[in-house]
Amino acid sequence: MFWRKQRAAIEGFHPLHQSLIWHRSFSVSMRPAEWDALIRGLARHESVVRRRRWRLPARTRTALVPLVRVLTEDMRPDGVLSVALDLRGPKFPEKTGPRHEMPVQRPVTSMKQWFVVDPWLRLRAELRDGSVLELAVTDRIRYRRIRKRNPRGKIKVKYKTKKVLRVDATRRLAKAAAVRRPASPPPGWIVVRVKDGPRPVIRATAKIPAAADERALVEPILTVSTELFRWTPPGTGAQRRTA
Amino acid sequence: MTRCTVTTGFFVLGRCGRPSVAACPQCARPVCDEHAAGPNGLCPECAAAQGYGSHDAHDPGWAGGYRRHFYQSTSSTYQDRAWYSSFDSYDRGSFERGGDHSFAEGDFDDDDTGFVDS
Ligand SMILES: [Zn+2]
Ligand SMILES: [Zn+2]
Repeated sequence: MFWRKQRAAIEGFHPLHQSLIWHRSFSVSMRPAEWDALIRGLARHESVVRRRRWRLPARTRTALVPLVRVLTEDMRPDGVLSVALDLRGPKFPEKTGPRHEMPVQRPVTSMKQWFVVDPWLRLRAELRDGSVLELAVTDRIRYRRIRKRNPRGKIKVKYKTKKVLRVDATRRLAKAAAVRRPASPPPGWIVVRVKDGPRPVIRATAKIPAAADERALVEPILTVSTELFRWTPPGTGAQRRTA
Repeated sequence: MTRCTVTTGFFVLGRCGRPSVAACPQCARPVCDEHAAGPNGLCPECAAAQGYGSHDAHDPGWAGGYRRHFYQSTSSTYQDRAWYSSFDSYDRGSFERGGDHSFAEGDFDDDDTGFVDS
């Protein structure tokens, strides 16, 4: 009876909000006001839905919501923000690479290694200076299955995982936009490439050790994105090249 | 008509540009009805500086309050002091005399290089 009431409430939620509950994913293109309506609904989730099974995926709160809030700040009302979100997690065959046998030394008798690549967020935002920002965020997890023989001849199997967050940020500037090399290079863990031309493209990529604290997830993503805007500092971003 | 000079945007900064109805009691910049609605009539920037900012990203005002912290922290990550100071001077340029190098950029123009929020 109790759940029935909550279930009825969920049926009144925004369709994308429901998609996050039932499928832990969605793919959509919307304008800032529509995103705002979705987020206002998500904000009420916990006060209405108490059932654990129907909780929102944690990255709704730690990544989706803050990223949408930040990027829509930089958009016109008629700009489009497209998001493809997959918060189902890494355990799917299509995300898992082949297993490779690795060379080993005693007491290890065998080691298999494989990677899981989980591209859980893709995003494209039309910004108000005419530039377009694209973000791709991927979990890359290395798995190792290690088989060991201890001195008493007993076989033990151990799994080891190592997780990194890969952030790919690209900004295509408006036609004839001016870029200016920042005074200092980005920190070593961020790689930047700039293609100058009639429509300059700036690309920054980084591999970041997975944060122990998922609540801090959005800051590294925005920190990598920052490089794309250092080339057009505040107050000059709008400037077009004057002849 | 005096325009609201509250800084808008996160990476792509602009000015609000709506008609102003008051002045921020702290920094004296002209503010529109929406941006005068903060605690004690403070503009969003001064409200955030006094700790009134929201810590919940669901809140529509969160990004504006988070922005100054973010520019400060990325300035130190990038060891690029100009990054923070360019934000700060852009923001202060909205109401300080002589600080109008960016103010004059044409934020209130009707052409497509200005970022007047409508
Ligand atoms: Zn103020
Ligand atoms: Zn305003």
